[in-house]
Amino acid sequence: MIQSTDEKDIEIERRFVPKAKDINDEIAWAQINKDVLRSMERPRLMYWVIFLASLALFGFGVYCEIYQYQNGLGVADLENPQVWGLYIATFIFWIGMSHSGTLLSAILHIMHADWRKPIYRFAEAMTTFSLMTAGLFVLVHLGRVWEFYYVVAYPNERWAWPNFNSPLVWDATAIGTYLTSSIVFLYFGMIPDLAICRDNAKGVRKKFYWLLSLGWQGTDRQWANFRVAYLTVACFLIPLAVSVHSIVATDFAVSQQPGWHITSFPPYFVAGALYSGCAAIITLFIVLRYVFRFEEYMTMPILDKTCRLTFAIAMVWTYLNLVEYASVWYGDDPVAKQTLLFRATGDYAAYWWAMNFLGSVVPFALAFKSLRNNIPVMLVVSLLLNLGMWLERFMIVTPTFAHGFYPWTWTDHWMPSWVQWGIVAGSFGWFSMLFMLFCKIFPTVSMYEVKEMVYHRFVARKARA
Amino acid sequence: MSSNKIDRRDFLRVLGISGAAATLAGCGNTSIESGAELVESYVQPEDFVVPGVGVYYASTCTQCGSGCGIMGRVREGRILKLEGNPKSAISGGKICGLGQAGVQMHYNPDRLTKPMLREGDGLKVVSWDKAMGVLNARLGSKSTLSGQQIAFLTGEISGHQKVLLANFLESFGSTNHVVYDALSPVVGHGANKAVYGVEQPVLQIDKARLILSFGNDFLGTGPSPVRMAAQYARFRKAPRGTLIQIEPRMTLTGANADRWYAIRPGTEGVLALGLAHSLLQHPEFAHSIPQELAAALKPYDKETVAEITGINADAIPHMASLLWEKSPSLVISGPSAEGHVHGFSNATAIHLLNLILDNRGKTLQGQANHPFPQLSPAFGSYTALAQLNQAMSAGKCEALLIMGCNPAFTAPTFVPFANNMGKVPFKVAFTTQLDETSRQCDLVLPILSPLEDFGTHVAGYQPAGVELMIQQPLMEKLYPETRGIGDILIDLLKQRKPDAYKAFPDYYAYLKTAVVKAKPVFKVKESDDDFWEDALRNGVLRLDLPPAPIDARVAAIKVSAPQATEMGMQYPFYFVPSVKADLRDGRHANLPWLQESPDPMTSVAWDSWVEIHPTTATQMQIREGDILEVQSATGSVRAKAYLFPGIQPDTVSMPVGQGHTGYGRYADGIGANPFKILDPNFDEQTGELAMYSTRVIIKKTGENAKMIKDEGPTTLQQGRKLVVTMAADQAELAKEITRVTQ
Amino acid sequence: MSLSNLIKNWSSLRVKRPYEGQYKDKDYKWAMVIDLDACTGCNACTTACYAENNLPVVGKEAFSKGQAMHWIRIERYWGEGDALPKFPERGAQFLPMLCQQCESAPCEVVCPVGATHHTPDGLNSQVYNRCIGSRYCSANCPYKVRYFNWWQYPERAWPNPLEQQLNPDVTVRSKGVMEKCTFCVQRLVEAKNRARTEGRKVEDGEVTTACAQACPTSAITFGNLADSKSQVAKMWERQQIDLAKDKQEKSDENMRGYRIFEDLRTYPSIVYMERIRDLQA
Ligand code: SF4
Ligand code: SF4
Ligand code: SF4
Repeated sequence: MIQSTDEKDIEIERRFVPKAKDINDEIAWAQINKDVLRSMERPRLMYWVIFLASLALFGFGVYCEIYQYQNGLGVADLENPQVWGLYIATFIFWIGMSHSGTLLSAILHIMHADWRKPIYRFAEAMTTFSLMTAGLFVLVHLGRVWEFYYVVAYPNERWAWPNFNSPLVWDATAIGTYLTSSIVFLYFGMIPDLAICRDNAKGVRKKFYWLLSLGWQGTDRQWANFRVAYLTVACFLIPLAVSVHSIVATDFAVSQQPGWHITSFPPYFVAGALYSGCAAIITLFIVLRYVFRFEEYMTMPILDKTCRLTFAIAMVWTYLNLVEYASVWYGDDPVAKQTLLFRATGDYAAYWWAMNFLGSVVPFALAFKSLRNNIPVMLVVSLLLNLGMWLERFMIVTPTFAHGFYPWTWTDHWMPSWVQWGIVAGSFGWFSMLFMLFCKIFPTVSMYEVKEMVYHRFVARKARA
Repeated sequence: MSSNKIDRRDFLRVLGISGAAATLAGCGNTSIESGAELVESYVQPEDFVVPGVGVYYASTCTQCGSGCGIMGRVREGRILKLEGNPKSAISGGKICGLGQAGVQMHYNPDRLTKPMLREGDGLKVVSWDKAMGVLNARLGSKSTLSGQQIAFLTGEISGHQKVLLANFLESFGSTNHVVYDALSPVVGHGANKAVYGVEQPVLQIDKARLILSFGNDFLGTGPSPVRMAAQYARFRKAPRGTLIQIEPRMTLTGANADRWYAIRPGTEGVLALGLAHSLLQHPEFAHSIPQELAAALKPYDKETVAEITGINADAIPHMASLLWEKSPSLVISGPSAEGHVHGFSNATAIHLLNLILDNRGKTLQGQANHPFPQLSPAFGSYTALAQLNQAMSAGKCEALLIMGCNPAFTAPTFVPFANNMGKVPFKVAFTTQLDETSRQCDLVLPILSPLEDFGTHVAGYQPAGVELMIQQPLMEKLYPETRGIGDILIDLLKQRKPDAYKAFPDYYAYLKTAVVKAKPVFKVKESDDDFWEDALRNGVLRLDLPPAPIDARVAAIKVSAPQATEMGMQYPFYFVPSVKADLRDGRHANLPWLQESPDPMTSVAWDSWVEIHPTTATQMQIREGDILEVQSATGSVRAKAYLFPGIQPDTVSMPVGQGHTGYGRYADGIGANPFKILDPNFDEQTGELAMYSTRVIIKKTGENAKMIKDEGPTTLQQGRKLVVTMAADQAELAKEITRVTQ
Repeated sequence: MSLSNLIKNWSSLRVKRPYEGQYKDKDYKWAMVIDLDACTGCNACTTACYAENNLPVVGKEAFSKGQAMHWIRIERYWGEGDALPKFPERGAQFLPMLCQQCESAPCEVVCPVGATHHTPDGLNSQVYNRCIGSRYCSANCPYKVRYFNWWQYPERAWPNPLEQQLNPDVTVRSKGVMEKCTFCVQRLVEAKNRARTEGRKVEDGEVTTACAQACPTSAITFGNLADSKSQVAKMWERQQIDLAKDKQEKSDENMRGYRIFEDLRTYPSIVYMERIRDLQA
């Protein structure tokens, strides 16, 4: 029954809503509160399915990690010189995922792009959780996790500092900063909504939201301060986000290895990050829209805009990717050229071509409106794009080890062991588990901003009329 | 000693000093008791161990027969590492990888720590009293065995252990000391003896300007690899010598050659005769050999030889002219030329070149005649084992004592040694670790490792003068219930011949007396104790003797009609077993360092493999790692294919030494044992097993497995300029500074 | 206080290495020469290194996965380009490859915790206690001579009583740390200490590495480059190689010395001497 109303709504939307109409401006504010708060109540079956599946995956990942911890990294079938494997590739992938949340939220906020409002909250949550996941990979990957704090610059009696020349230290610092700021940004943006939650909750939950909403009453002064603070953090985050992935790129670009020692790596990495992040937003958009019935807020025009943004970024990425190939091909480093050729024709050629196809050709699906408006197609496309982006990271890390400077140590069809795959799978479980938990504890759609949006539309329509 | 009733001749024989030395050795007074204490205290912490400081003691490496002098680094009473002993000319302060691994034989986790006695199907741990009781009951004073009924089977052995062993057999009226070596040098020795009058001439590698080697792997598995490697290094310095290697499968030495030729196995003699033919065209050599021999060489023109050997016809006069230009040269034959039915003639044909080129006295010399021939090694042979095997199968052997060889593993299938052991009522093994042979024995006695025991060694190949190598314990014995072989033999001899041996409380006393007896030979003016102490300190007793001359017996060289080798349809491939310098015949497969040390040619470790030429592999659609069945008329083994360019295309090769089934955790279940597919072909002249004459067929099994190797998917430098090569005429070695020639 | 120390020594973190005359006033700069014409590929050096430096035997399984721990490995090539010759008529090309102790080591800059760093006598050292096992150094080493402890070898490589062979002067590494050739630093330390108590410098030939000591052909020469009278210093000079120069300025074409991957400006401390082949033969 509800289904049919939905369809009817969409039908109406298609026929009568003008092009720029991202959201139905006739939704009552109370309805918004009700809809969003409803998503935080007793979960639907679908929620349980996703949550438990994630939990199981995560559990398996934890098992793999314990196994690896006890026996040594040898169980991952890592070797000399294939020292990194999936861990670093997946680390970059997750770091990349974390970019679009900030982009959507901060940049579009500053640019007053209203359509971000219903979706930025979950995008920011995605940022935070993927950063945490990426952080896990740093730990999983270390030979001696129990000494991880050596990387942190903290004053100590032994005068032992980390090596400030090392991109890994820059990494640790940048990711740490980015994670903290992202959490702060996410939290700041949530305060007015937490107050709404507080007002609607009972018992322990009320206490919890009361604590978190920091006494928000919605006074004018509070709003004024809030806006300044929010804008400041947003402005702060933008250069930070760009720097984080640039720094991850320097992990490779600073080294001398063929296939890594490439000047265009930082922008290339940033583009790749935004790309995979946007693709992930599309995926989550569709999932949330379905699982929490957010059709009213996560509307097709917003999806359409996100898709167009993704398409633009995909093209930027494609360009930078080609720049990379061209600069290696026309450069005079025979070793780098050999490694590039190896990527295209060697052991991992299938992955390389798949990555290029998924990264550069599949996004053209986003150029067609009919496809953009087809939810199942978009779900598949967004997943494919992310697969492509993951392959990109794999293709950066592995072939350089397999076919680097030193021919004696080249490897032959090296593939990660089940432990690595298990941990990678576990990371997806961990991410979606956290995300699902978040959805039940915090409002995934920003209530106050949607209200703003509705209000603006309403006012605009009134004015037009 | 004054109470000694035996006469002096006997006494000297007991000590292994008679013959030439007997006239030199006076009968002095020896103080044995002091030594008896020393053997206990030598490695005791109080006197010799400074905590935290490594001290070096000299000894002798027993990992192979070269007898290199070594120094052991001992710290806190533990032997840690072996280095070469610079005082010994054989090692020159250097050591090979196999020698290094001696410590792992000593510390091997699979060492036998207690005596074991057969009980039904299995071996049970017993006490030494019980074990010696059994031994004495069978071989003690009451034993009536004699002659052929008792046999002592060993590997190559020298020094006083050999003497004691012979004396022990003699007490039964037996001389049945059977020496077996799976990689026996007997054919080569026989040919040397026939042509030069000596079994093993000294190769002056560094004096040669050109070395032409027919499969002699002197750098890897030769009679004295460390010494020869040092000479080789000098050979490569100004004026730089040239090395040409001709063999069916590239050995380590071949890999270092300036020019390497792949030859059809078994046709080395033909090539040598072709070279002789070519050389004789030159007036300088025309009269170097008798007319009739020269006439017999007529048929060996370059086309015929090229046809037979598979070597390019133009290469033959080219090699001949190099031989002529670069004098003095040195032509040597090696196992892959000698291990054929006509191996002996192959070798003599090769030696003919030395005679034509007049290398005698220049690059080929005789070993110095030394005063203690009894201490010289007995070289092992296949024939000795075959005879013993026959006696055993006929039930003539009543007691078999085994030490230092593993025929159950190395003997070919047609010598069912392991089965025939069942027909011997009493079998004793003296070993540091259970192996396939000792597992079949009735009594297994755990002996001291070479790093725990005393001994003397005289290398079969004495490169300069003569060295009597002294082996001494580098640490206290690891396991209380192990005993030195010398002590066991002395105990037995005391039963057999109480009079002759009662003067020696133990083996140490015997050895010291024996070594001190040799003092006059070394012409030193020291007290006996000082002499002994010096011998222990230096690890070697050197005699600087001049090299002996060698003969040129042209008559020994037989030239028969060129042997055309037919390609058998049934077994189309030649089978060349290869010997890995560190595993040898498999006796070192229990040492983890050596298992993990990649084969220099293929970089494979922990495995066996079948080498096959890439073109042949392409024809047969064989890829690396395909599991092949190598089948001869005698049997078959399976191993992974390895595509190897350094092999004659009609040949396949497999390393020996792997495929153990009862030799401890590091050896068992690794690879396959190609000894078991050798065909019963024998050298016509000496009757030795012709190891390189087996023919096989290769079958694909359809399985494939990952090659366990160090190299990556490429064996090429890919333009990386890693190993740069310079042409010999460009290099100015004389201007260089180098450590090699110092 | 460590912060002030950091600030005070900040400049030393950023020193450019090597520079002309860097070791002029220093007592030691260890270096090596390997003569590829003398090297026969016999593997004695590898085994010597296992014995000296407590290298674990990883076993069949791990070896086949490429987890071997040979600090010095003998490589064998069949040719220079990328086409395999039908027969290796000029023999094999053997190359003993060990840590090049780069003066400007790519592995050092990238280690996040400074576990691998340069010592005053020019060694590229590895501090096991500090290593967190990020393996970045291995990723960045062009020679790929760093070996990681993928397994807990102390528990599996030395079954009793093999552990009694372990060299007490050398740490036994546990899982999760990186290791590589140290130029047998324990021997160098011992020699330096001995010399210091005797009030002198280590003399040429007084100390050598295990691989150089074992090598039957004396293909490896080890010594102190800071001592201009040492054998190694003389060889470097004769081969016209200057530690502080990234490019060998060779006026004499007949000299055989070269450094591998000079172009990468790693400034290796090991000079190789070209292999020679008599092409007339
Ligand atoms: S050549 Fe033989 S005796 Fe010499 S060190 Fe090697 S194994 Fe020992
Ligand atoms: S060779 Fe590799 S490990 Fe050694 S110093 Fe250079 S970069 Fe570092
Ligand atoms: S210098 Fe020492 S640590 Fe380095 S490879 Fe040689 S023996 Fe091993």
